[in-house]
Amino acid sequence: MGTQTQIATSPQSEPTAEQKIQKLRELFADATDVGKAALENVIKELSSQVSEPPPPIESAGRVGARLGKRSELTIIVPLVPGGAKRLRTFLQLLGGNLSPGATKVGTLHDMRFVFFDNDTRLLFGTSFDGDWDTYIDDFIALIPDYLDLMDSAWEGWPGIRDPGAKDYLIKHQITADGWFVAEPDLTLAEIQRLKRIGKATDEFLDKVQ
Amino acid sequence: MEDAPVSSVNESIGASVAVRAATLDLHEIQATVLRPRPAPYFGTHVLLRIDDARDGRELFRRLTPHIDSAAAWWSAKTPWLSVGISFAGLKALGLPEDSLQSFPEAFREGMAARARQLGDTGLNDPKNWDAAYGQGQVHIGVQAFSDSEEERRRILRVAREQLDGLSVSILAMQDFGAQPGDRNSLGYKDGIDQPAIEGSGVNPLPGQGEPIKPGEFILGYPGESGFPLPMPQPEVLGRNGTYVGFRKYQSRVGAFNRFLQAHGSTDEERELLAAKLVGRWRSGAPLVLAPDADNPELGADPHRNNDFDYHNDLRGRQAPFGCHIRRMNPRDTKLTRLTDVKLHRLIRRGTTYGPPYDPNALSEADDEVPRGAIFLFISAKAMATIEFLQQEWINDGNFIGIGDERDPIIGLQQEGATFTIPKDPVRKLVRGIETFNVLRGGEYFFMPSISALKWLANGFQ
Repeated sequence: MGTQTQIATSPQSEPTAEQKIQKLRELFADATDVGKAALENVIKELSSQVSEPPPPIESAGRVGARLGKRSELTIIVPLVPGGAKRLRTFLQLLGGNLSPGATKVGTLHDMRFVFFDNDTRLLFGTSFDGDWDTYIDDFIALIPDYLDLMDSAWEGWPGIRDPGAKDYLIKHQITADGWFVAEPDLTLAEIQRLKRIGKATDEFLDKVQ
Repeated sequence: MEDAPVSSVNESIGASVAVRAATLDLHEIQATVLRPRPAPYFGTHVLLRIDDARDGRELFRRLTPHIDSAAAWWSAKTPWLSVGISFAGLKALGLPEDSLQSFPEAFREGMAARARQLGDTGLNDPKNWDAAYGQGQVHIGVQAFSDSEEERRRILRVAREQLDGLSVSILAMQDFGAQPGDRNSLGYKDGIDQPAIEGSGVNPLPGQGEPIKPGEFILGYPGESGFPLPMPQPEVLGRNGTYVGFRKYQSRVGAFNRFLQAHGSTDEERELLAAKLVGRWRSGAPLVLAPDADNPELGADPHRNNDFDYHNDLRGRQAPFGCHIRRMNPRDTKLTRLTDVKLHRLIRRGTTYGPPYDPNALSEADDEVPRGAIFLFISAKAMATIEFLQQEWINDGNFIGIGDERDPIIGLQQEGATFTIPKDPVRKLVRGIETFNVLRGGEYFFMPSISALKWLANGFQ
């Protein structure tokens, strides 16, 4: 738990595209035949992609990865006895969809709750705009009870108002090594603005016909 | 301390305030934290480097009796001195390591090292700052405030006398003072809106809003969460102290005037545009209360010039969403993100320096005239709040639904920057926004209580 991947690498230590491909070849020497064959089939295409790398993934504050304006957060926590049942029942109360409350946050693109290991552990995943803890104090001030309602299922959760709450989250968060966002520059507010503009444009076009 | 509210005239700001029992230790808190600058104001910032730890402590022993507390801060009382210490300064004083490590990370690193989090890049990059700043050289900041030039000189002399014979170097001295009409370097009346602090001893002025829990501004008291914020240790050092973000801006008056000229063909048009950028006319009159024409009497009246919210301006027709004051205190504006505005306020002590604003200054040479403002941004979590404001409310527009636009007054502008003025039937997009205020230096200071100053002077006991 809590193993952090070093995301930012200094330019000097950055290997060349050729070196990266070579490294992959070396590692796939021990892969299954299926894996080896697959690598050979795509290696040419991969080589050209690597030589023109996409915008780099950055750090989303203290933990987590960010691409453009969008950050990811993955938390894996042990659950207290009965915690899974309580949390699942709460989620089902809203049909598994938290949209009435979650929409108000204004930065949350999605959330998922996955119970595993016989209901003893939870994987919580979300993606949101900006850095991890920019608005955490606002959540503590405005929706503390909803956070505690869900997080009280987590073993050792100190309560969102406790000064140790941020450290607890950081301890259980694992930074993703892969992070793809189709439109990394569009925040939720921008998406909503574009939807409004699109609708207004359609209305305008209908009227001028 | 009075139990029942009584009326007291604050001659320094020309407002009568209702005084009530204070629950804060006003005798411990430094005056600058709570006391607004007088009008007019005269003062000096002195930046010092401690070259010998023992002499540094001796300076605090001599200086502390001259540092004013916030006792009866609402009544006119000038001049006064206040003092802050940077992390490098605390180290130079020889503060024990466990105490040093009890300060927040951003404070320990210093403002220059936090340039990435603050968005201080490009023109505002610390490598472009004035020589004194961002090098770990600034150890102490002394502020002298007064209501006359004569008193400013006198109190500054008092401060300087304490340095005699000590290995403490003066790195910079910057006089400041109100421009004619109490205006800043871009010609606006400023410093109007300040957060109201619970327990500070006065009722809020109209429009100041609900008082905010004192722990947001002063260490050792409950904050909005109900808990006090973490405090530097030991307690005698932290309690009743606070943090100061010191930021020196230079106003590019030529660029600002050229922008107004390019987008307004008459004085009326230019003044309206200038008002739209800030959300107030230059007189201080808010656009929400005076949407069509300036109202100087309104601007000058502290009981009326801040008494508004945005419930009648939901679409920004009066005060554009991107204007400076709507960003810095959105009040009841519906924001795109779940936000508690009370958590992101700062006490501001703006101190204008250099020659007065000149509406006819149009040249690029005018941009380089040393003229601008040094701000003291005061809060118990000043580092976190300034980083939040820089990232979210100053150098972005997403929080208030205007995409990438930045604060037109203190934002760091990018190529092709725009300013949206909502209007009927369609919005007006103003182009040609430049960085009108360039950052020329910055430091974080800890502003200790009177007891903490004595504790520092006494070799940490």
